Amino acid sequence: MNPNTVRMRIFLTGVGGQGTLTATTLLAKAALDAGFTVTAGEIHGMAQRGGVVESAVLLGGYLSPKIGFGEADLLLGFEPLETLRALPYLAPGGVVVSNTQAVPPLRVSLGQDMYPKQEVIEAKARECSARAVFVACQDLGIRAGSAQSANMVLLGAAAGTGALPFGLAALEKAVNAYLKPALAGINLAALRLGAEASA
Amino acid sequence: MAFALLEAKAGETMLLLGNEAIVRGALEGGVDVVTCYPGTPSSEVPDAFFRMRGDGAYYFEYSVNEKVALEVAGGAALGGLSALTTMKHVGVNVAADPLMTLCQVTVPGGLVLLSADDPGCHSSQNEQDNRYYARLAGMPCLEPATAQEAKDMAAFALELSRKTAHPIMLRTTTRVNHLRGPVLLGEIPAARERRQSEKNPRQFVPLPASARQHHPATLIRLETIRGAAENSPFNSISGRGRLGVVASGISRAYLSDVLLESPELAEAVSIFELGFSYPLPEKALLEFVRGRDTIVVLEELEPILENDLRVLIQKNGLKTIVVGKGESLPRHGEYSTQVVRAALRQTLSLPPASVRHAAPLSDLPQRPPNMCAGCPHRASFLAVRQVFGDEAFYSSDIGCYTLGILPPFKAADFTLCMGSSVSAGSGFALASGKPVVAFIGDSTFFHSGITGLVNAVFNGHNLLVVILDNHTTGMTGHQPNPGVDATIHGENAARVDIATLVRACGVTQVKKVNPVNNKAAVAAIRELAAGTGVRVLIAEEPCPIHARRVKKSAKAVTAHVSGDPGGCGEVMETVACPAFYLDGGKFAINESQCTGCMLCAQICREIKAKSKEAGK
Repeated sequence: MNPNTVRMRIFLTGVGGQGTLTATTLLAKAALDAGFTVTAGEIHGMAQRGGVVESAVLLGGYLSPKIGFGEADLLLGFEPLETLRALPYLAPGGVVVSNTQAVPPLRVSLGQDMYPKQEVIEAKARECSARAVFVACQDLGIRAGSAQSANMVLLGAAAGTGALPFGLAALEKAVNAYLKPALAGINLAALRLGAEASA
Repeated sequence: MAFALLEAKAGETMLLLGNEAIVRGALEGGVDVVTCYPGTPSSEVPDAFFRMRGDGAYYFEYSVNEKVALEVAGGAALGGLSALTTMKHVGVNVAADPLMTLCQVTVPGGLVLLSADDPGCHSSQNEQDNRYYARLAGMPCLEPATAQEAKDMAAFALELSRKTAHPIMLRTTTRVNHLRGPVLLGEIPAARERRQSEKNPRQFVPLPASARQHHPATLIRLETIRGAAENSPFNSISGRGRLGVVASGISRAYLSDVLLESPELAEAVSIFELGFSYPLPEKALLEFVRGRDTIVVLEELEPILENDLRVLIQKNGLKTIVVGKGESLPRHGEYSTQVVRAALRQTLSLPPASVRHAAPLSDLPQRPPNMCAGCPHRASFLAVRQVFGDEAFYSSDIGCYTLGILPPFKAADFTLCMGSSVSAGSGFALASGKPVVAFIGDSTFFHSGITGLVNAVFNGHNLLVVILDNHTTGMTGHQPNPGVDATIHGENAARVDIATLVRACGVTQVKKVNPVNNKAAVAAIRELAAGTGVRVLIAEEPCPIHARRVKKSAKAVTAHVSGDPGGCGEVMETVACPAFYLDGGKFAINESQCTGCMLCAQICREIKAKSKEAGK
């Protein structure tokens, strides 16, 4: 797609420790290298390990580093409960790409709260989107060589749906350019497995 | 080691975090000295300077608090070096005393203060608008909205400060510190010839006789700098519509996006963007306002520009209506595209824009921030509760341990600011007549707990102070403090020993314990609880994240349920470690999260250690 005509807001959400900020920065760098103007935003500080981590990548001339309700063209959910929580951010006609594998909050782990059913999460995501794709990111990450590469599986899945204005090759280029060379093989495999799973 | 921020050439474009852009800008502006006290959202600026220390041609330090940081930088600037000091908004409260005088005595080498404000309280105890400090101190103020501006303004601020010998404020907000955007780089200059330090006591010693001269001289300098603001490329006018909009800071980004998506609004407005916002470019603004019926002012937090504009309009006998703070433009929290769009549409008498979206679900499980698995603070809170329960009042402080407020510990009854646990605890003990336990971290103790402790000894206050010494500054990203044993650059050769310091403050009842040893911790607290006056327990155990990152050390064991999971109800309730979970209703421990602190095994006989190797 033409970087001069595309405008797009991408909302990313997950849990601390899942690598959502690494994925956010990689997506932003891939977009910049593909010729898009980019603004990205994230919040650091109290979001410790286990807290919700929300971030944003905006392409095509937006300057705001955050996304409001009803504004996101693409929602990337690294954790299914967080996908569900973030659905209000999705614009009408937007696309959801989400992990299916849960990181239960502490109160859920301790039996004091209920985690929503996966069928409910998927149904709600379909209700408010043009398309909702769910991928088992940790499983595919493990197949690629490390569960930690689940974040790359999700980016690959986003590319696989065609919802990004650039293809898998742009992400692969960014992995080679900006992530640890020692992990490039695993991360590239993760991208490809994600793309295959969502195509 | 090569650092892209230092090595990248002029003309290259990099995607930079707002805070990284400020670092590059300061380097391009010829910074010689950087001091700070870390605090979100400012911390990535000093952290980058710390990592690159040794590669760049500058001096860097983590100072013990913001007042000290500004005084070290101020002294360097008095002596002829170009200095940058960074802190979060509440840090400027601590540094306010030297700030007021530095703006009057002048700084020949140049001095820039980064004030990182936090509208929306993402990680702060209050919302405050430090543009007021710029006015109070008589300090020119620059407010970036993009990564490019963050870089350009940091460099410009240093140059302007050197040229005028006047300190400059670079004022950011959380969204600007933590956005990422493309930045076209400039040149990092070769080392300048150092300006000689000079004696000039009539200028630099503000005795009343000279201080009286300083104030009018400062006002004259500010008028000169106002001239620079009138012609600054950081202030710009665009659009041809009838409605005037004056916008500053990140509001400019929200405005830009609203207009990008609404040709209707874009045609209706003309915009005055203020990047160099104080001293106000009055001539240019007056010209912009004249002939307009209405001006909308977009600024987060306080109505500062709004009130300045009202004064300007009144002084010049204009009839222009100013739309500022009110229902659609709140005085608290952050602005957004929605806020800006609604305010413009309302002013233009257009119907509200309808945005369709899914309704937020309020009944979903939350993920509140929590102390990590293996956090030694959890062990300290547990032991203190085992002795005091709900009988004591808990005076907390600023750090990870403020999270002690959560059940089951409920170990925070009041908190004011950095260092307040000791002194506010002293006062509260007078009022309550109950035991008061103050919790303060090592970095916060060095920051401003020491003065409270000396005061408590001198004035005979009655409280138990627990210094949670985890050898790092955890909450803000593991910066070193004077008590740490090691940093990413190696051993801390100039370590200040907390126990020696506490005794030197005059405290006689001092104990040191590893809080993860529950029996020893409870015994030490019992003994101190029985005494009166000022008592100090130093609970020393490194933060496991710090230990793993800096010292590359990790425990060789993890906890696991070796006995009856049904007997683990109490440990689940009282220790509440995030590594605990229910596996099909049965208590279990997530071994990938467990750090092997083994606190739980001391509380519950069903839990035992097992070696990580054997577990595989």
